[in-house]
Amino acid sequence: MPKITYRVGGDSTTVDAAVGTSLMQLALQNAVSGIVAECGGNAMCATCHVYVEDGPVDRLADVGAAEDEMLDCTMSPREPNSRLSCQIPMTDEIDGLVVRVADEQH
Amino acid sequence: MTTTAPATTICPRSDFDVYTDSALLDPWPGYRELRDAGPLVHLDRYGMFAATRYDTVSHVLRTPEVFPSGEGVMMNDEMNQVLRGNTLCSDGEAHDASRRVIARPLTPKALRPLHDEIRAEARGLVDRLTARGSFDAAGDLAHHLPVTIVSNLVGLPEEGRERMLVWASEMFNCFGPMNERTQRSLSVLGEMMEYATTQAVPGKLKPGSWAEAVHDAAARGEVDPGKCPVMMIDYMGPSLDTTIFAISSAVWLFAENPDQWDLVRENPSLVPSAINEVLRMEAPIQDFSRSVAVDHEIDGVLLPRGSRVIAFYGAGNRDERHYPDPDRFDVTRNPTDHLGFGAGPHACVGMNLARLEMRALFEALAEKVTRFEVQHSERALHNILRGFTRLDVTVH
Repeated sequence: MPKITYRVGGDSTTVDAAVGTSLMQLALQNAVSGIVAECGGNAMCATCHVYVEDGPVDRLADVGAAEDEMLDCTMSPREPNSRLSCQIPMTDEIDGLVVRVADEQH
Repeated sequence: MTTTAPATTICPRSDFDVYTDSALLDPWPGYRELRDAGPLVHLDRYGMFAATRYDTVSHVLRTPEVFPSGEGVMMNDEMNQVLRGNTLCSDGEAHDASRRVIARPLTPKALRPLHDEIRAEARGLVDRLTARGSFDAAGDLAHHLPVTIVSNLVGLPEEGRERMLVWASEMFNCFGPMNERTQRSLSVLGEMMEYATTQAVPGKLKPGSWAEAVHDAAARGEVDPGKCPVMMIDYMGPSLDTTIFAISSAVWLFAENPDQWDLVRENPSLVPSAINEVLRMEAPIQDFSRSVAVDHEIDGVLLPRGSRVIAFYGAGNRDERHYPDPDRFDVTRNPTDHLGFGAGPHACVGMNLARLEMRALFEALAEKVTRFEVQHSERALHNILRGFTRLDVTVH
């Protein structure tokens, strides 16, 4: 079972992930704070913004067109490692991924 | 001798009619019956399959390679022909290209400059209506923002624009199966398409409007210019009625559940969560359909290629397999994963705007109104849409 670490402020939470969910859903299921996900995972709201910080970063799929446009709408600044967590599916390949939850989502 | 259980079980069948007056006005018992019968149920009256469980509806909407939209998302062939090629009824790259154009003014960033205007307009409206003490929450309250601000942003020519409300409602009626309601509404579609083809054209559209931007994108080669008329429908159809019905349903739910309105008044930061709960309980669009491209199994039930499955958002949203105590209106639930806006690649492109309009209104109402009392209500009797045509309320 892959493990994902979310950094929120000074805290860090590592959770077990079921394959088939998204990084956003996993955060909500585990009450990771800071992920709003207002649109429910449809790449429409830019409120599940995370920065990918460590782990198998090169195993992530590329940013899609819809995600790219929405990343231009994030409240916290977009960085090269910005992603929408709803657009990152959980796979065994990304076991050990570490992401930082953006400070401000709305 | 050993036997192996068959991989698929026979699909349950039902002769329940989802589109009678009584079922449309109170769909919940019928939805429950269908959910309990199985993950998919064959509706014998319509020759289509019903998806009513949360997981099934979500799966259908999020698996476009099996459940494409290009064959139409309506329940009758006539309508599936009329809208062929608009954003709603397309797949893959063609869909992505036209959705990108339609979505441009509807992203959170593009909408940000409108926040103040929409808030000020909502506040002014709520001040005027609450000063009167009683008003029609469907006509007076719910119509205002979509009709004054949104239809102006869409930018269709003034002449004929007053028909937009009628067109939108009649068009959605035609999404249903070929029943009497659909047949009655079909005549209006010609008028709408004629307007989209001859009036919603460059030179007649408001400069800088969203509709004009569609034609500009076509001129730049981003979308097929021949698709502009049906892309006009992408804005004309869903931008008004759906939000209007959601607003009236919200007022009704708050009137019926005063304890929940108290929670919102005490803590207005609950407004976004309450809006999600309203859309879960009373999805303004209750169902769209998908064709089935390949034989496909869902929880042991085989769905044959070439058939059609109706995805009932309203039923999935009340599935106790997904939401505990689903018939209870709970503004603290914050069900961001509700299916009221659909899901997957065709999820409502206007959801940010709809949320903005609703949020502005209910934040203003939370400051002014302690109680809604319904004096008189008339529900829309409609194949697809759910909400009120009239909702007279007294406010305190």
